Amino acid sequence: MSLPSAKKAVALLGAAALFLLSAFGTWQLGHGLYIKAKAELAQVLLERAWTKTLEDGKPHKAWYWADAWPVAKLEFPSLGVSQIVLSNSSGEALAFGPGHLTDSPLPGRGGTPVIAAHRDTHFSILRDIKNDERVIITTMDGTKHTYRVRQSRVVYSDNSHINPRAAGGLALVTCYPFNSTQTGPLRYVVFATIVDDLI
Amino acid sequence: MSDLSRHLSFAHHPRRWSHPLAVLAILASLSLLIVATLAQQARANTTDGLMRLDDVESGTLLLHSTEPGKYVPAPLLATDVKIDVTGLIARTRVTQHFINPGDGWVEGKYVFPLPEDSAVDTLKMVIGERVIEGQIKEKEEARRAYEEARDNGQKASLVEQQRPNVFTNSVANIGPKETIIIQIEYQQTVRRDSEAFSLRFPMVVAPRYTPRNVDPQLVDFTPGEGGWGTVIPQEPKDHLEQPPVQHPDDGPLNPVSLSVTLDVGFPLGDVVSSHHAITLTRNSDDARKANIHLAKDVVPANKDFELVWKPASMKAPTAALFKERVGDEDYLLVMLAPPSGDVLPEAKPREAILVIDNSGSMAGPSMVQAKESLLFALDRLTPRDTFNVIRFDHSMEMLFPSAVPAHGENLDVARKFVRSLEAEGGTEMLPALRAALQDRNAKDSSRVRQIVFLTDGAISNERELFTEITSGLGRSRLFTVGIGSAPNSYFMARAAEAGRGTFTHIGSEEQVTARMSELFEKLESPIMTNITATWPDGRKTESWPNPIPDLYKGEPIILSARMAEAKGTLTLQGEVAGKPWKVNMPISAGETRPGIGKLWARRKIEQLEADARIAGNWNLHDDEILQVALEHHLVSRRTSLVAIDITPSRPDSERLTRKDMPVNLPEGWEYEKVFGPATGQAVPARFAAASPRLALAVAPAPAADMAATGIALPQTATDAPALIRNGLVALLIAASLALFWWVQRRRAKA
Repeated sequence: MSLPSAKKAVALLGAAALFLLSAFGTWQLGHGLYIKAKAELAQVLLERAWTKTLEDGKPHKAWYWADAWPVAKLEFPSLGVSQIVLSNSSGEALAFGPGHLTDSPLPGRGGTPVIAAHRDTHFSILRDIKNDERVIITTMDGTKHTYRVRQSRVVYSDNSHINPRAAGGLALVTCYPFNSTQTGPLRYVVFATIVDDLI
Repeated sequence: MSDLSRHLSFAHHPRRWSHPLAVLAILASLSLLIVATLAQQARANTTDGLMRLDDVESGTLLLHSTEPGKYVPAPLLATDVKIDVTGLIARTRVTQHFINPGDGWVEGKYVFPLPEDSAVDTLKMVIGERVIEGQIKEKEEARRAYEEARDNGQKASLVEQQRPNVFTNSVANIGPKETIIIQIEYQQTVRRDSEAFSLRFPMVVAPRYTPRNVDPQLVDFTPGEGGWGTVIPQEPKDHLEQPPVQHPDDGPLNPVSLSVTLDVGFPLGDVVSSHHAITLTRNSDDARKANIHLAKDVVPANKDFELVWKPASMKAPTAALFKERVGDEDYLLVMLAPPSGDVLPEAKPREAILVIDNSGSMAGPSMVQAKESLLFALDRLTPRDTFNVIRFDHSMEMLFPSAVPAHGENLDVARKFVRSLEAEGGTEMLPALRAALQDRNAKDSSRVRQIVFLTDGAISNERELFTEITSGLGRSRLFTVGIGSAPNSYFMARAAEAGRGTFTHIGSEEQVTARMSELFEKLESPIMTNITATWPDGRKTESWPNPIPDLYKGEPIILSARMAEAKGTLTLQGEVAGKPWKVNMPISAGETRPGIGKLWARRKIEQLEADARIAGNWNLHDDEILQVALEHHLVSRRTSLVAIDITPSRPDSERLTRKDMPVNLPEGWEYEKVFGPATGQAVPARFAAASPRLALAVAPAPAADMAATGIALPQTATDAPALIRNGLVALLIAASLALFWWVQRRRAKA
C-alpha cells in the first residue's frame, strides 16, 4: 500500500513541477514579449503626440500619466528607421522610446546631445550603423539637424568619455554587448558630428 | 492527474528511480533559471600599454604611437612643485622634465587634469635650448597656427581645454633624445571643510582617478561592410613605436621637490602635512603667514602631498582683502570667513517644508529612499521648529493647512502620512513648488524657512519652474535632494542655485543617512544670510558671484570684483543667526597679489556658462566668454594658448634651467616600487614600468566630477531577452519532460 502511495506522491510532485515549469516559462516569455510590444506600440502613440508638438511647438504627452514627452525625432535614413525621442532617460521613459539625457543639451543648443535607448528594443539598430552614415534629428521647433557618424566605442557607464559640452557632437548610447542577456556596465556609444550643409 | 499517476505506477520497476530524478531535474533547472535571471555580469578588466587622451588621469606627456589616436607616455624624470596660497587661492607652478626616448622627431601631447575651477594661464617649455611661451588665441585660430608651424618643421606648442578640468598641451617637433622641460601655472581655490583648509597635490594616480580605468575598446565599421563590425582587440604592448628606455645604475625614483608659501588671510592655527615630513617656518611678524618645505630635499613620488591648516578660533567673521591692478582697472578678492568654534551664535528655529515626489517615475528603490530621507528629516526636527509635508504626483496634497509645531502628534501624523505613500501617476511639480514657496508668515524673521524638495526631477517645464523659484523665493531657501540612480541633476542643481540652497544627491539606500545628516547639519546651523555687498562706485563694479549665496556651516565666501580704481569703502552686510552684521572695509588698503584679475575672469566665465545652461542655450554667452578669456590670457572653452618659435630666452625661474638629467630609467621602476603597493592595481605594472606618471592637480571630489569621466549613462537594456530566453528554455524543458512521460506511458502500455 505504501509503495503505490509513494508513487502517487512522486507523480503528483512531478506533475506539479511540470505545471510550475510551464507557468514560469509562459510568464517569462509573456513578460519578455510584452516589453518588446510595449516599446513598439508606444512609438505609434508618441508619433501622434509628436505631430501635435510640431504643429504648436509645445510639449504634448502621449498619454496623460506619462512622465516623459517627445522632444525630438531621430531618423536613420540609411536604415529607414525613425524614432521619437523622449524628454528624459529614466527607466520608465526608455521602455517607450529613446530618451534624451537631461545632463546634456538638446540639438541646436550647442554642446553634445546624448540620447540613450535599450539595446534590445529601439537601439538594437545601433549595431547596424556604419561610419559616415547620416543621423537626422528634428527638434520641437521643426528644425532638422543632420549629423554624420564618425566612430563607435565601448565604454563604461561611469566613465563614458562623453563630454556634453563639446561643440557640434552627438552621442547615441545603448548597452553592450548587444546579444547579452545580462545587464552590465558596458555601453556602446556612436559618436556623430554635425553636418553644416543640410542637404 | 489520477490518470497520469496510475500510468506512472505501472512503470517498470528498475526505472522507477527516474521519476524522482526527473522531478529533481525540473526543480534544479527551475532554480538555475531563477538564479540566472538574477545573475549580474562581472566587470571585465582589460588593460593595455597604449593610452588615449581620455585615459589620462595625471600630468603626462604623450608621444604619438604607430596607432592613430593612441599615445605612448614619455618617461618622467623629475618634478618641482611650488604652491603659493593667498587667502583661499592657490597658485601652483609645476616644472617637469621629460625625455623623448625615441630616435626620431616626434609630436608630443601633454595632458593634465586640474580642478574644475582652476585657471591655466601660463605655459613655458624648454626643448633643447629653445624656450617657448604660450600666447592666448581664439581656439580655431590657435589650432590652425599650430598645425601650420608643425608642418613647417617649427617647434610649436598648443594648450587647449578639453573639458573644464582636462587640458592638453601639444608639442610639435621634439628632437631625438631631447629632454623637455614643461612648466605650467594654474590657479585654483583651496578646499575648505568646516574649520580646516586643505590643499592636495596628488603625486600618485589616486584610486578615485582610476576606477577600472581601461582603454575602451574600439569598434569601427568600415563603410560598405554590410553593417558588421568588430571590436578591435587591445593591441599588444610590443607594437609601441617608442621602446622602453634603457636602465641606468641608480638614482632616486621620480624625485619631487615641493614647497608651499601660506598667506591665508587669518591667524594661522595648526599646520599639518598628512603624509610627508615637513619643515614649517612661521612668520614671526605676521601670524597669517608661513613657509613649508619638505623635510627632505626630494621625496620619491609615492604618496599624495596634503597640507591641512586651521585658523586660530575667531569671535566674529573675519574678512580679508587682496587686490591686483591689471591695465586700467583694479581687481579685488574679498574673503569672508564665517565664525567658528564655540563662539557660534545659536541657530534660529526653522520652518521646514518637506516636499516629496511620489509620481510613477519614483517607483521602486527611489520611493524607498525618498521616504527614508523624509522620515530622517522629521526625526531631526526639534520642538522649536515648525513643519509641513507636501506630496505630489499629478495631483498634490499638503498635510497641514499651514506649518505646525514639530512635536508629538503632529510628527506622528506626518510619519504615518509618509509611510503610506505609494509611487504612481504623472509628475506635476509646479503646483507643489508653488505651494511650498507660498509663505504665510513672510514677515516672520524669527524663523528661517527651508524647503527640502525630494524628487528625481522628471519634469517638463524647467523654465517655468525656474521663474517660479526666482520670483517666489522671498525668505525661503530651496534645498533639492535628488533621489535615485539617474536624477535630473542638471535641473536640481540649477534649481538649488536659483533657490539659494544646495543640491544633495542620494543614489542608494545606504547613502540616505550620511547624505541627509550632512544636509541637516547645514540646515540646522544657518550662519549668515541675506548677504549684500555695497561697492563704493555702485553699479560700475562688476562683482562675482552675484547674488551672494548664504553662508552655511564651514563655507567661506569669496567675492571677486573689478572696478576702475579701488578706493572708498565696501560695505558687507548680512545676518548672523538673525542678528544683523555689518563690515565696512576700506578697499584701498588690501595687499597686492598677482592672479586676482585672472580669478575674477575665471569666475565670470563660470557664471556665464551657468547662465547659458539655465537659459538652455549653451552657446549663449560664447562671445563674452571669448572676450574675457582673451583679455585675461586664460585657456577656456573658446580659447587656447599657442606658442610658435618665440625668441628663446631663459625663464625667470632658475628652476627652469636645464640641468643634466639622467636619460635612462632606473631598473627598478616598477609600479609597486615607485608608488607603493596600495594603488598597485590601479595601473598595470608593465605599463607603469615604462611610464610612471605624476599627477599635477588637486584632485576634485569624486562625486559630481562629470567632466573627468564623461556624462554618466543610464541602464539601457531591458530584461526582455533574458525573459524570453528563460521562458523558452522553461517551456522546452516542460515539453521534453511531458514527451518523456508520454513515451514511458506508451511503453508501459505496450
